[in-house]
Amino acid sequence: MAKSWVGRVRSWMAKNMDLPQDVMMDLPRITMIGQIHIYIENHRGLLAFTDKELRLLLKQGQLLIKGKSFVIKTILPEEILLEGKIDQVIYINENPGGSK
Amino acid sequence: MKNQWTVFLFGKVTVKVTGKGIERLLNVLIRNEIHIWNVKRHGTDTITFKIKLSDALKIRHFVRKSGCRISFLGKSGAPFLLMRLLKNSGFLIGAVFFVVIVFLLSNVIWGIEVKGAKPATEYQIRQELDKMGVKIGKFQFFVDNAEGIQRRLTDNVGELTWVGVELKGTTYHLQVVEKNEPKQPVKLTPRNLIAKKKAVIVRMDIDDGQKVVDVNDYVERGQLLVSGQIGQEGKEPELVAAKGDVWGETWYKGHVELPIKSTFFVYNGKEKRKYSLLLGSFEIPVWGFGKHEFKDYKMEKNIHKLHFLKWKLPISYVDKTIREQEKFIRTYTDQEAEEKAIELAKNDIKKKVDEDAIFKDEKILHKVIKNGKVILDIHFKIIENIAIGQPITKEIHE
Repeated sequence: MAKSWVGRVRSWMAKNMDLPQDVMMDLPRITMIGQIHIYIENHRGLLAFTDKELRLLLKQGQLLIKGKSFVIKTILPEEILLEGKIDQVIYINENPGGSK
Repeated sequence: MKNQWTVFLFGKVTVKVTGKGIERLLNVLIRNEIHIWNVKRHGTDTITFKIKLSDALKIRHFVRKSGCRISFLGKSGAPFLLMRLLKNSGFLIGAVFFVVIVFLLSNVIWGIEVKGAKPATEYQIRQELDKMGVKIGKFQFFVDNAEGIQRRLTDNVGELTWVGVELKGTTYHLQVVEKNEPKQPVKLTPRNLIAKKKAVIVRMDIDDGQKVVDVNDYVERGQLLVSGQIGQEGKEPELVAAKGDVWGETWYKGHVELPIKSTFFVYNGKEKRKYSLLLGSFEIPVWGFGKHEFKDYKMEKNIHKLHFLKWKLPISYVDKTIREQEKFIRTYTDQEAEEKAIELAKNDIKKKVDEDAIFKDEKILHKVIKNGKVILDIHFKIIENIAIGQPITKEIHE
């Protein structure tokens, strides 16, 4: 498969050429400041947002953030800054067991 | 994050969205480069967020497709502040107007007080002030400053010896010293009249007392002219205050030196006026720009302090008058020089004698022209009142 071939090349390049993985492989980069802030780059869109839960679409799978009194401070096409009290950050893989 | 300052400057709007699939709408919005922040959920199907004012119209289009309903809640930022300011501009105008009025009224003359003058002189002073434009209700910065008023009053009102002009707040205080103080009726004690200098008596007008000398008599200084002791011989003399004028011919010598050539400056009528505001030491021209092209000039500068209520502001209003002057050389002929010199000498002597003295005759004793100067010695004959009082003391009498 062409896609997995490209993916393998990218993974190899990232490993051997000392390039950051998120740039090479379109992975999300998540920065957390304690429990109060979470900053996610490279997401693919908003799926659900309540004050207790935020669900983001990633290139592969989804990211589920649970907590309390969420406020999206900023949202840009590929970045999101969430404020509140964060309890869990969960990756949901794209397999038959996933929620979607 | 975007700079909050620009957001404030261009204004922001809080949007409330109700409906299903709000997340989908948010995705659409951010993909269309609409900047969204402070997204909050209220209940199951309501969300609020903030956007820039310039995006507010754009989002309607996207919202219509999504099937959600939106409403705009709060508006803040500079454009809305400005709008409110315009709506309430009456207050602002009022405040500015108030300050302007207080400022103007602080610079109006509200009173002129004249102290130490007789009613007649006061009337004259007030008329002179009127002519200068110093009136109640006029602006202080359009009239002369205190020194100028002082100078003009002393020049134009003859009765004044000195006048002090002081501006206290909005009132001009004029302290006047008159040449002729109102005469207090003096109760005269018994006295004689004696001569104050040697003279030949020309006329005698005696109101009271006994004449001792007569017309055409030569009298020495200190000689008794009119006695205060009257009464018939053999009786106890009565003491009175001798009163009257004794006119005598007196002599004065004058010495004058007058240069034949003299140079002085005269204004030729060309002038330039400049007005400016003075902030501390920084001058801002208001009217009258450009440089003058006068070679020889004199500058007159008037500084008017501006007031606000009782305080002096660090701002002054300055008006300058630059007048061109020309050098003028005056040359007298011998004849003219002599006449001038005599006049000068006369003026000198007038200062020494009483005002009512009469010049009878003048004679040039000596005339030299030396080093471009006329040197004259002049002899004057003057008729003046030579009588002065001398009290009669009891000791002399007894």
